Amino acid sequence: MSAVLDLPVLVEQRRRQHHRRRRAGLALLASVAGFALLGPWLVSADPAFQALSDSLLAPGAAHWLGTDVLGRDVLSRLAHAARMSLGLALLAALTAAVPGVLLGVIASWRGGRTERALVMLADAVLSVPGLLLVLLFSSLAPGRHWALYLGLSLSLWVEYFRVSRAASRPVLAGDAVQASRLLGFGPAYLLRRHLLPALAPVLGTLLAFSAAQAVLALAALGIVGVGIQPPTAELGLMMIEFMPHYEEAPWLIAAPVALLMLLVLGMMLLAGDDGDAA
Amino acid sequence: MSATGAPPLLAVEGLSVHIGRRALLRDVHFSLRPGEALTLLGESGAGKSLLAQAVMGNLPDVLRAGGSVLMEGRRSRADDHRARRALWGRGLALLPQEPALALDPLVRLQAQWRETHALVGGLGRAAAQAATLEGLRSAGLAQAAGHYPWQLSGGMAQRAAAGIATAGGARILLADEPTKGLDAAWRDRTVALLQSVRQAGGCVVVITHDLRVAEALGGQLMVLRGGEVVEQGAADAVLRDPAHAFTRALIAAEPSRWPRRSPPATGGLLLEAAGLGKVYGERLLFSGLDLRIHAGERLAVQGSSGAGKSTLGNVLIGLTPADTGTLRRADGLAPTAFQKLYQDPAGSFAPRVSLGTSLRDLARRHAFSWGGVEDRLGRLGLDPGLLARRPAEVSGGELQRIALARVLMTRPALLFADEPTSRLDPLTQQRGVVELLDGLDESGAALVLVTHDEGIAHSVGGKTLHLASDV
Repeated sequence: MSAVLDLPVLVEQRRRQHHRRRRAGLALLASVAGFALLGPWLVSADPAFQALSDSLLAPGAAHWLGTDVLGRDVLSRLAHAARMSLGLALLAALTAAVPGVLLGVIASWRGGRTERALVMLADAVLSVPGLLLVLLFSSLAPGRHWALYLGLSLSLWVEYFRVSRAASRPVLAGDAVQASRLLGFGPAYLLRRHLLPALAPVLGTLLAFSAAQAVLALAALGIVGVGIQPPTAELGLMMIEFMPHYEEAPWLIAAPVALLMLLVLGMMLLAGDDGDAA
Repeated sequence: MSATGAPPLLAVEGLSVHIGRRALLRDVHFSLRPGEALTLLGESGAGKSLLAQAVMGNLPDVLRAGGSVLMEGRRSRADDHRARRALWGRGLALLPQEPALALDPLVRLQAQWRETHALVGGLGRAAAQAATLEGLRSAGLAQAAGHYPWQLSGGMAQRAAAGIATAGGARILLADEPTKGLDAAWRDRTVALLQSVRQAGGCVVVITHDLRVAEALGGQLMVLRGGEVVEQGAADAVLRDPAHAFTRALIAAEPSRWPRRSPPATGGLLLEAAGLGKVYGERLLFSGLDLRIHAGERLAVQGSSGAGKSTLGNVLIGLTPADTGTLRRADGLAPTAFQKLYQDPAGSFAPRVSLGTSLRDLARRHAFSWGGVEDRLGRLGLDPGLLARRPAEVSGGELQRIALARVLMTRPALLFADEPTSRLDPLTQQRGVVELLDGLDESGAALVLVTHDEGIAHSVGGKTLHLASDV
């Protein structure tokens, strides 16, 4: 029966659908990333330059997205905010991935006491809400990027640990790994040819998800005022700054909200479910 | 058994399956009255399973079915899947090829069996329980009632799936290789189960590689090759006097007709086991087993399904520790001197890496020249183009040949082959076993062959070890 359902044409069709979704996500992310990278350079306005006479200008030729209450150019601030959010989130997700995956593989490989200890550690971290952990760290050094980054990484690694521990267990128990061991291959080979290829699609998905999670966490911290501090531009911070002017200048708050949505949507589309289940 | 004159219970007219413009199955006709049976024979990939799926109405969307299917007096177009779906379970049942995938891994055997009696068969609580116990007992699974499917051996899962598939009381049963991996005794019990469906006024379509099933079942026989029917008629007539050359080749390749090979010269002692014992769960598999294996020796291990044949092999080559007894390898053997050939070759290769990459890694690891590998693959009749593919993209017969080439690269002293050909059709099977033995003759390695098939065990020309089972 499986032979019927695994016909190459079917697999191909599923794969193509999946690819379309991924391409859409990738295009979205690429445009946000392009805006974040090139924006600060293209928009010549200084994000911190204040001109109180230009307070709350509507979008126009001089300021495409208008100005905030201090007369600062919103487009320029948005580009800087996007660059910071995206950069910090990706960095945190990547630094969480490396130890998370390694510990997960070690846990399912060694089993026994090593596994129990690692699982207990992960559960302990998991018992504290992620946002609270980031808050704790950022209260050590308020407004500092490194504190936020450390807090984010420490809350994100657990997911990588759990997923790679669960995903590597059937691989390690399978005939393919047994055969490779019998044929005389060592741990490095098993990691390179068996474990990492099996984990790669799951980890790609997880990377996108956890980066999205980090972007949202940063914005949430910005909103409650314990994340990045003014005058630095940050998405959550911008939202809270624009909130009082919601009545007179609704386009202001729309800009960071839309950017945040596009960013997270792009990451979710990129993650999706992996069509390559076989 | 058939009621002559009765209207057909299942009739298929002009059935075809296409993918795009390519025909996978062409112009199949048959008609079964209550009590009749049809056996489908043919090479792997001939379209036998596809035929069963098309009759079920369970083809994937990209496949286009043509022709019509008459079932319990209602005619429907072959591609009208919904028309037959209403009959699933109570009127029409399929025993799928992979029993392990058909059972729910998270539910104990007894519970899923009872569920089928109660929800599909419509029995009351007590009646369902009684029917379940009776089914478990007659399938020899009474002790395994509380097991999860992953705790069952391949043959046990096969019997469980057969019992559950028939629990709904369907009158039309499609069985896709119901005796795969079963020894003679259980094969006969499974055939009896199929016969009981016929006696109850149902009809049976059986896909098999085993001619003895076709013989025992009787009824009609259809031989498929490359999606076309090459021969069709009464089973005893076709088997006695096959008209088509392909049918003749298929019958000649039946394991009980294989010639016995002369035993090769044996050398020094490789492995000595004394008082080996192993318990699986609460079941004693074997105990007090003494065994000596010499270089070049051929040992066939037989025994009923679940008797611990594969476990014994794993213990001998050091993959599983024994519970009692001692095992001594001869001195001076390399750590990779004991190798294994798996029942499912696809599962024994790294799934996401091309076959060529896997073999090249191994050649480098064992300082084996790549030219030698290509030479061996060529002698096994393998196209070098196959190496660019991943394991799942190669047929079972070809992959088992590649697996053989792979283990021989390590210059093994002892090879444990665990039912290496049980998933293949007889023609491919015979070729596979001959290639395996040729390869071993050439390298001088000893063989421990686990097989449920007495014909194959006899043909390798060595000693046979029978494992008794307490089930």
